[in-house]
Amino acid sequence: MRAPSHTCRRGALALSLLALSIGSACATSAPQDLSNLSLEDLGKVVVSSVAKTPEPLGGAPAAVFVISHDDILRSGATSLPDILRLAPNLEVFQTSPSNFVISARGLSGSTAAQNFPDKLLVLIDGRSVYSPIFSGMYWDAQFVLPENIERIEVISGPGGALWGANAVNGVINIITRGAAETQGGMLDLSVGNRESGVAAQYGGALGPHAHYRVYARDFRERSFKNSDGHDAHDGWHNPQVGFRVDWDASPADALSLQGDAHNGHVQQLGAPDARIAESDLLAHWQHTLSDTSSAQLQAYYDHVHRWGDASGGGFSLSTWDIEAQHEFALGEYNQVTWGVGDRLYRYDIRPRISPASSLLWDPANDTQNLANAFVQDQLALGQRTELTLGAKAEDDPYSGVSLMPNVRLSWKPSANVLLWAAASRAVRTPTPFDEDVVEKLGTLTFLTGNPAFKREKLTAYEAGWRAQVATRATVSVSVFYNVYDDLKTIEFSPTGIPLLWGNAMAGHSYGVEAWGSFTVTDWWRLGAGFSTLHQYLHFKPGASGLLGVAQAGDDPSHHGFLRSAMNFSKHWSLDADLREVSALPDPKVPGYVELDARLGWKVNDKLEFSLSGFNLLHPWHQEYVFPGSDRIGRSVSLDTRVTF
Amino acid sequence: MPTPFLPPTPRHRARLRAYAFALLLACITGESLAQPTQRTPSLEYAVKATYLYKLAPFVNWPPTEFTAANQPFRICVAGDDPFDDYLKQAVAGRNFSGHPFEVRKLDALAPGMDCQIVFIGHLRSQSTRQALDAVSGEPVLTVTDSGVPADQGGIVQFVMHGGRVGFAIDTTAAARNHLSISSKLLNLAVAVKDEG
Repeated sequence: MRAPSHTCRRGALALSLLALSIGSACATSAPQDLSNLSLEDLGKVVVSSVAKTPEPLGGAPAAVFVISHDDILRSGATSLPDILRLAPNLEVFQTSPSNFVISARGLSGSTAAQNFPDKLLVLIDGRSVYSPIFSGMYWDAQFVLPENIERIEVISGPGGALWGANAVNGVINIITRGAAETQGGMLDLSVGNRESGVAAQYGGALGPHAHYRVYARDFRERSFKNSDGHDAHDGWHNPQVGFRVDWDASPADALSLQGDAHNGHVQQLGAPDARIAESDLLAHWQHTLSDTSSAQLQAYYDHVHRWGDASGGGFSLSTWDIEAQHEFALGEYNQVTWGVGDRLYRYDIRPRISPASSLLWDPANDTQNLANAFVQDQLALGQRTELTLGAKAEDDPYSGVSLMPNVRLSWKPSANVLLWAAASRAVRTPTPFDEDVVEKLGTLTFLTGNPAFKREKLTAYEAGWRAQVATRATVSVSVFYNVYDDLKTIEFSPTGIPLLWGNAMAGHSYGVEAWGSFTVTDWWRLGAGFSTLHQYLHFKPGASGLLGVAQAGDDPSHHGFLRSAMNFSKHWSLDADLREVSALPDPKVPGYVELDARLGWKVNDKLEFSLSGFNLLHPWHQEYVFPGSDRIGRSVSLDTRVTF
Repeated sequence: MPTPFLPPTPRHRARLRAYAFALLLACITGESLAQPTQRTPSLEYAVKATYLYKLAPFVNWPPTEFTAANQPFRICVAGDDPFDDYLKQAVAGRNFSGHPFEVRKLDALAPGMDCQIVFIGHLRSQSTRQALDAVSGEPVLTVTDSGVPADQGGIVQFVMHGGRVGFAIDTTAAARNHLSISSKLLNLAVAVKDEG
């Protein structure tokens, strides 16, 4: 049965060389030679590059960048915002050790105008973690052990039809590894000039079909210098514990239960430490009905308690959420997904009253309900074309029912190229901050929420091209054109003062997001990413024009990175990330170029050391509007990881 | 928590800049391969298809497997076919111990289908588990694709490792189907599972 050995070797070598060449050559000539190979030689044929097994050309008709588990570990980043810097389609600005401003496709808001980046939906294993009180994110409250992150899907563009009302400019979907994949013990110690921390995790099995893990971590990050060069006194620490249990109850059922709790302190200049605490519990049930049909049910409870922070006030927020989803094939050409969900949240806001300025809510506590239903149909129009039609209806406590439809088309002219186009509508629904806030200067009520605040609206047109241009190179380019209406502004009330939130801004923006990856050799991979944005916003007739259109966002016109990942040997790895962000227009913040790098030494299966450096090129740089955001300085850290 | 409102200050409109993203797009698009539409499978599936018929000699088939001397040796592909016509062309003219290879496509598996080797692809009307159970106890070598969860694997499961196609063997599942696997094949396997 075996062919002569020299023919085998020649055949295998020829095939390996073919595998290195352009994909089309591979696919047409290689299959003729395989029949002469022995089983052993068949197992040596390289079908994909070693350094990075490329994902099958993703069929998603959207601008999706996937931050892989490997990318995360190689970056040396520990916090979620630092990990999100790896995505070319996100703007990430650090303002203090614990605070970040993160947005996609512009509209990053303005702190001075109290316009917070509120058009991003962030999910951790399906749990929505943005705050429903003002639609924004507290980035200091969400942490996942980097080792436990399977991947992060960063989708820029409206995901309203599938994900919901806050997914106006993007969705960040953080997916953690199952408990079965994080078995055994792990201890991680890191020491650095700015941050030191310890993390420990243990995973085991509960019988043949269930696995668990438990973890605990604590860290301390020193305060930065503020824009004047003085100590900003804003260091923090936030210990966290958590667990996850996965149970394969039957071949068709997978159940999962996970929870986390953290309770931390954030220092404040001239005030006692702010306290941030959150605990969450999430249950998930996945049921397979057939190879083409499945259903899932998810429920979670989340409790947030923050007090004594920058404004002096505080709040507690409890959320109960339940969602069901069913996916099935309808006939030969349709794949239908539909679902319903309900979120109940109760908040209690403690006012901050002081002689100079006060911030309070009227009502200060309330229980609100957000219900949603969605349906999506993926139609196969022929072998290479797919049309996706979807719509979500969301009922929020203030503006009633919002409908978010979208249509997407994808076309694969060949096995290695995907073209897609989409048109969607998304809204950012009103929040208690928009409708119920009361702000006073002294005894004068200066600004109130607007009970008639309208939804902020987006109509987006996008298109993209994704290709495997060679066996070892992939490229993705997306373009978008966003039309905005009813963006938040500050208007005069009929009596002049108090001011009100209004919806008197509209406009459009467009840009390109591109990224690519090139495996130079088996041990060296290069990546690059680039994003551009042009935003043109204007006030509508009758607007007050207070604070200008700059209040909607201070966004760089371009930002990008060049990345290199090298494995020198089985033990040594070197990674470097060079990023640039252009100047912020208004208020002006200079642009910058910075470098992060990490050297890793894997002593053996159980012990790994790494030396990471961040922002290495300059002693410090500013990323966001100042005064009010800190200088971001150089940091280095030595990390030891032991597995047992 | 949002901080209190600060008094308004006059702002100027940001200056707008000219921009040619169309040019950038054209540069990148110019590099793309205008590939002719082709129906051959990827190299990965060409290798998997080749495995399918090359596995035959390494399995100890029960003596009652074949009733006639030139009865065809059937390789069945259940569910979506990832091989296109490659498998058919590859086995044309080949035989195992005098039994000519024959490739058959099935939508689902049921007992008594008279296949010697079954590759279970993406099924539409039953789950992989149901398909495996349908031929359990019959002398059928079940093969599942890489990416399928380990507990839904057949006797042979393809495994991607280091950019190459390997396979794992489940000897208990083989015994259930009255088949024994030659030690040569067990040695070549990436992993051998010997308890259900």
